[in-house]
Amino acid sequence: MANKIIDARGTACPGPITDLVKAYRNSKVGDILELWATDKGVKADTDAWAKKTGNEIVSVTEDGEKVVVVIKINKR
Amino acid sequence: MKYLQKVLIIGAGAGGAILANSLDKKKYDITVLDKKDKHYYQPWFLYVAFKGSDRKIWRDIRQILKPHVKFYQDAVKKVDLENKVVETESKKKYTYDYLVISTGTVTNTGSIPGLDKINEKYGNYHTNIEQAKKIWNNLQNFKGGTIVLGQSSPTCKCPPSMLEGMFLVEEYIRKKGLKDKTRLIFFTPYPRAYSAEPINRIVEPMIKERNIEVVTFFDVDTIDTEKKVITSISGDTLNYDLPIIVPPCTGIDIEYNPSTILTEDKFIKVDRYTAKVEGYDNVFAVGDANNMPVSKTGVTAHLEAKVVAEILDGKSSKFTGRINCPFDTAYGKATFVISDYNNPTVPYPATSFKHFEKMMMARIYWGTLKGTYDPVFDYFFKFTAPEKLLKKYK
Repeated sequence: MANKIIDARGTACPGPITDLVKAYRNSKVGDILELWATDKGVKADTDAWAKKTGNEIVSVTEDGEKVVVVIKINKR
Repeated sequence: MKYLQKVLIIGAGAGGAILANSLDKKKYDITVLDKKDKHYYQPWFLYVAFKGSDRKIWRDIRQILKPHVKFYQDAVKKVDLENKVVETESKKKYTYDYLVISTGTVTNTGSIPGLDKINEKYGNYHTNIEQAKKIWNNLQNFKGGTIVLGQSSPTCKCPPSMLEGMFLVEEYIRKKGLKDKTRLIFFTPYPRAYSAEPINRIVEPMIKERNIEVVTFFDVDTIDTEKKVITSISGDTLNYDLPIIVPPCTGIDIEYNPSTILTEDKFIKVDRYTAKVEGYDNVFAVGDANNMPVSKTGVTAHLEAKVVAEILDGKSSKFTGRINCPFDTAYGKATFVISDYNNPTVPYPATSFKHFEKMMMARIYWGTLKGTYDPVFDYFFKFTAPEKLLKKYK
């Protein structure tokens, strides 16, 4: 169960990654964040973000237009 | 005598002023409250900081509002949506039929350790003219070393302004003949220099050509002003000689009943199409003050204000999420960041003409607040609709 759902669907510039970065700032170790987006670029961006920040992508699923990325915060 | 519906507008920035001036005086009794008596053209802080501009970029609020709009300089303390009352610092109480919150944002240097000291010594170009002037003074005294520029938090106004600052610094340094003695570092909490990938494609060659180093995923945690080191949340560090750091921005500190209309950063939760505050059909929040998923800029405040004016007029108007952010890429060129809720950002090339348009906007700004140029804007927004541009620019 996610601690926080970040609904970035239909987000115009600057895009869903900005919402994830904002949520990361207010998160703590162990939190599960669920990012919803319609921008397909979100997969590559969250992947690069997770590698850089030392956090974990638990799953990426697509449901029609909607992309759901589940992230576990391991480092803060 | 016909009853005029009372519209109360908090804040005389771009959104508040445009809305107040757009409403029909035969139908509405319009009152604007603002804690200040001046309105500033904020995009020009950039040129105060990086070009030393001393243009007069303010007007008295009374002057930018049409004569029938009532204006009182008074800071709002409490907004009670349940009882439809707004209370001010001078203990006055205002009632309304419709309330529009257009309070903008405030830069918050206290939220990051060390940022207060940075701000005091080096200034920033997102707060006011005095702070922007500090940057210009420091640049003039700069003789070489490392200049580090970036946003200290994911929440800042005007997303292009960070790279605009870096590009203008580079132009300044090169023209001063200091390029060989200077290292330029641009940091960002995002995966690339400009967060929207299509615009990043446009600016990346410029960044490379101008030898600007880009540090991505760098979200500022603390700043040690003794050792001159910035540390990110994930533990990376950057050393600086001259730091130019954009502070985080948050909503304005006003007490709301209910407080549940606020996000954790004090932005007001609204419907992204109507700017209506959740749960209240007679309350709207426009511009930087709301939590719309769009850039915080004058153009969104402008377009949202026009939508609210139409909704009050009984039309079923909707905000499309259109952004149109001018982006100065230095050396006399600029681009625009254009997108809306249905269309991704356009990879729109930088040209001299777009720079001219950005400069023209600064000239006609005061007229735009009164609606003088509405037909021009209607034409411009149609002509540059993202779905049209995306066919041409891929």
